[in-house]
Amino acid sequence: MSAASPLDAPDAPPKRTRRLRLAAWAPVIVLMVLCAIIAVVNPNFLTFGNFVRITQTAAIPLVLGIGATFIILMGSIDLSVEGILTCSAVVLSMLVLNGANSNDLGILGALIVLAIGGLIGLVNGLIHVRLRIPSFMTTLGTWFIGVGVANALLGGMAIRITDPVIRGLAVERFLGFPWGVWIAALALIVAVVIQNHTRFGRYLFAIGGGEDLAVLSGIPVARVRITAFALAGVFYALGGILVAAQLGLGNAQIGTGRLFTTVTAVVVGGTSLMGGEGGVLRTLVGVLIVVVLSNGMVLMGVPSSVQIGVQGLMIIAAVASSIDRSKLRVVK
Amino acid sequence: MASFLRHIASDRVRQWLPLATLILLIVIVGTLEPVFLQPATLLDLAGDTAVLFILASGVTFVIMLGGIDLSLQSMASLSSVIVALTLPRLGYAAFPAAIAAGALAGLLAGLAHTRLRIPSFIATLAMGGVLASTALVSSGERSITLGADDRGYLGWITGTLAGIPNVVIIGLVVLVVAHILQAHTRFGRYSAAIGAGEPATYASGVKVNRQKVIAFVLSGGFAALAGIILTGRLASGSPTLAAEMLLPAIAAVVVGGTAITGGVGSIWRTLVGALIISVVRIGMTFLGVNIFAQNIVFGAVLVLAVAITIDRSKIPIVK
Amino acid sequence: MSAPDAVLALVDVTKTFPGVKALKGVSIDVRPGEIVGLVGENGAGKSTLMKILSGVYQPDGGQIVVGDKPVRLTSAAEANALGIAMVFQEQSLLTNLTVGENVYLGNEAQFTRFGIVDWRRLYAAAARQLAKVALDVDPRNRAEDLDFASRQMVEIAKALTLEEVAGHLVILLDEPTSVLERAEIDVLFSRVRALKDRASFIFVSHRLDEVLELSDRVYVMKDGAVVAEMPAAEADIPKLHQAMVGRSLQAEYYRESLQRPPGTEIRLEARGLGLTGAYRDIDFTLRAGEILGIAGVIGSGREELTRTLAGFAPHDAGTLTVNGSPVRFANPAQAVDSGVGYIPRERRVEGLVLFLPVSANITLPDLGRLSRWGLIDGAEEKRIARDWVTRLKVRTPGIDALCLNLSGGNQQKVVLAKWLNAKARILILDHPTRGLDVGAKEEVYELVRTVSAEGVAVLLTSDTLEETIGLSHTVLVMRDGTITHRTDASPGHKPAQVDLIPHMV
Repeated sequence: MSAASPLDAPDAPPKRTRRLRLAAWAPVIVLMVLCAIIAVVNPNFLTFGNFVRITQTAAIPLVLGIGATFIILMGSIDLSVEGILTCSAVVLSMLVLNGANSNDLGILGALIVLAIGGLIGLVNGLIHVRLRIPSFMTTLGTWFIGVGVANALLGGMAIRITDPVIRGLAVERFLGFPWGVWIAALALIVAVVIQNHTRFGRYLFAIGGGEDLAVLSGIPVARVRITAFALAGVFYALGGILVAAQLGLGNAQIGTGRLFTTVTAVVVGGTSLMGGEGGVLRTLVGVLIVVVLSNGMVLMGVPSSVQIGVQGLMIIAAVASSIDRSKLRVVK
Repeated sequence: MASFLRHIASDRVRQWLPLATLILLIVIVGTLEPVFLQPATLLDLAGDTAVLFILASGVTFVIMLGGIDLSLQSMASLSSVIVALTLPRLGYAAFPAAIAAGALAGLLAGLAHTRLRIPSFIATLAMGGVLASTALVSSGERSITLGADDRGYLGWITGTLAGIPNVVIIGLVVLVVAHILQAHTRFGRYSAAIGAGEPATYASGVKVNRQKVIAFVLSGGFAALAGIILTGRLASGSPTLAAEMLLPAIAAVVVGGTAITGGVGSIWRTLVGALIISVVRIGMTFLGVNIFAQNIVFGAVLVLAVAITIDRSKIPIVK
Repeated sequence: MSAPDAVLALVDVTKTFPGVKALKGVSIDVRPGEIVGLVGENGAGKSTLMKILSGVYQPDGGQIVVGDKPVRLTSAAEANALGIAMVFQEQSLLTNLTVGENVYLGNEAQFTRFGIVDWRRLYAAAARQLAKVALDVDPRNRAEDLDFASRQMVEIAKALTLEEVAGHLVILLDEPTSVLERAEIDVLFSRVRALKDRASFIFVSHRLDEVLELSDRVYVMKDGAVVAEMPAAEADIPKLHQAMVGRSLQAEYYRESLQRPPGTEIRLEARGLGLTGAYRDIDFTLRAGEILGIAGVIGSGREELTRTLAGFAPHDAGTLTVNGSPVRFANPAQAVDSGVGYIPRERRVEGLVLFLPVSANITLPDLGRLSRWGLIDGAEEKRIARDWVTRLKVRTPGIDALCLNLSGGNQQKVVLAKWLNAKARILILDHPTRGLDVGAKEEVYELVRTVSAEGVAVLLTSDTLEETIGLSHTVLVMRDGTITHRTDASPGHKPAQVDLIPHMV
């Protein structure tokens, strides 16, 4: 088998490998082409101001997408993005300095919210793993529970956030970028470290690549799955904090449409819904594609309500072009 | 907890659990609030359940063969927009037009699912986005109130027949049609077979993809019909009219005892499930629970019902 | 019973599944540095035994002894900790991970500090493991970029990482050669031999020549028991075969007296049939009332040919004609429309919808005939189902019972009933007696004879050569995707197995 090195063995497909690498770069190419086209049509696209605007728009979907990427890498799905995000934003607005009650927990409030997000995610994971309920069903339930809790807390009202630190995330800038962008960047770095440099990160890929084989290799699959859902919850909660900071308020409608953008970004970036392929850096590319496209559409005067439809078509195109159909016997 | 659920699930009791739950709930709510048991209130309940039941019947076809349709609330909303926009020009033809649009959307979702082999939850999630966008753009992102002239076309929805609200009768017609489709036609049998064992059904020469597409077409058509009835009851169409109906509809199917894994279920169970959801909702209203916060209960009920009805032997790896 | 110096011993192990006694008191021992061969026909209990050793199943009775201590193996991890490692026939590496990650999958703790994995150290260690098996591959390559033989070596390298925790190892090789070329097999064998000072091996294979070539000692299993044990030096293929089959051939077992000469009408004909990567230049005719058996080992192309005829894998060369008209089955529905019925190997997956009642399964391929104005005639359906249950003597609580609750033999009768009800004129039998006990097998043979006598054309692939020869009128032998031999097998002219084997391997 030194003789049967990958290059000359009949079963070793070096061509396929190269194509795979090319496929991995496809989203990046799409992003660059997209930028080029928009820049030609509207030179304003290339200004520093617009660049800051794009990063600012991308920050929240990126944080949400990172959380969802961990789940999708395992071949599962998390539909509870909006539930956890909304719940977090509303709770945050009630804990920090606000226009409705006398709380003033500041940063501590934000930390509590991250813990709550992690807790809801933990519940997702426990229900999914312990009761053996498919993740899309479990998280469909928590999606609505989360939004319901937000509604129960507010009863359809909105709470204005007056806490200067929280507001500052969106308003104050460092080196020209709002603090929210820096936080998202930090979240990305943390996520890359988790994904590439910890056992947990490797196990996500192993589970997505073949859960039965992962079990045989002694990987604690149940624990990894539960941890992943909890971790995703923390990222959604961080997204909730950033959303609340950006809008300066918390209400129960604050998450509407976020799930859609998140799933679009993850799959457009090239993370496979089957699991085992992809990663948070690809999600960064996916987020940028979605954000640049909508930024370009705004610059060209397309109504924003069209965007959700465009994203729907992008999901179908991205998933359809990435699924290895030969592997699937039954698609449900 | 898991072993308790297994006990319920493995028992023959499971089959009668939904009906028993329904009766128990009616008794509880009736005891707390005797008004509930008066014929007028019960007819109101039936009327309120009709829309939910129609939505749930459509998605029952999809769930029976092991798929899911997450686009039905967007479709129902779009249908209301279509009716509200075209009623002045088309008159009664607006209704079949809306249903045709629903069937078309179902067809596209079904083709995306079967031809492109995209999992149904993602295909219909994406289709839901396209439909929502269409509804928002065509309505100008606002709700459209119907004028007095147009309301004349809505009598078949809002009227009564021998004291019974027409919506209830429409619901019954849907029940009969859906029951026949599901229990007495080849499509219904094939659906159950696909849900219970797709490879064997395929190997037996059944055109599996065709049955799946039919199920999505029916789901889209039924969702559109539900949207029409909502339009009639509210005398307006809106791109977010049915936004809160996805969860109750799926919950109704699952609570009724149809397994999310497919193969096991019936329209009757969906009827029982829809009634349970309605009674719970009324009960919560009596208790003064915020209408939006009711989602907490529905979400929990959904997860619990899935836990009880799911057939774990069919899914060696739960993703 | 077990040898005193054994590193691993099974003592009187039994395992029962609902309806089947899979292991009836099996005793096996493995000595240090020994390669033990394990052979037996499908259903003899080899795979159950492997699963018990790798902690997937737990035995109902008997003992597993590692070193000199009785142990319980309740998971793969426990088996690993005791130095028992499994190398599967294929696809047990995660192809989306790198070779190095696969080697240490689940054992990264030693390279982890403060939660961060030191990949450089891990890859260096993986390279050392690969060197043990003399595999010259960069551990940073993805596993999917390797050929099958190299993947097998990676698996062995992975198994050898257990040395650090468990000392002397026992490595289970489960059909490791089934996807390999001959040259690759030679390399694999030499590497395995070279590792004998580090580990003992249990080598499971259906290729008797390879077992004899590699093993020091051979166990033969049959019907859940060890029926022979001999040093490989004293064994030869006929001897092993005799032990595996275990009985002199009784003509009546296969109901040969019921075998009628086939008709003249050609039902199915293949001319130059081919499917890229699977088989090529296949010619045969199948007449009404004829049973055509196809013999061949895994990889001979006969399984793929069967799938083509059943509509799962359309051919891409040559012609296929059914009753004189050319066909190309794009899906099973088209095959069914042409009068082809498929009795699959995976009876519980593709044969029956287990969660539907007997009646619905029987009528599934032919519901159209039962429908009037789009509605299924329920009374007629019940009548038909009862009729078939009576005619085929299906033992079931009723036609409303779920197929799930039927025994294997009765399930197979329901599969047959559904095709007879659909008036299939060509039956593709893909390992029709797999997993059935002897009594059920005989009933299936009798039914096959009956339908054959009624003019149904049958194409058969089987688990055993004996069954293929016993049932068929004509036997085709395939090897490497082509037909290498064809022979008459009418009663009185049945060929001997030893005459066919040279054409198979």
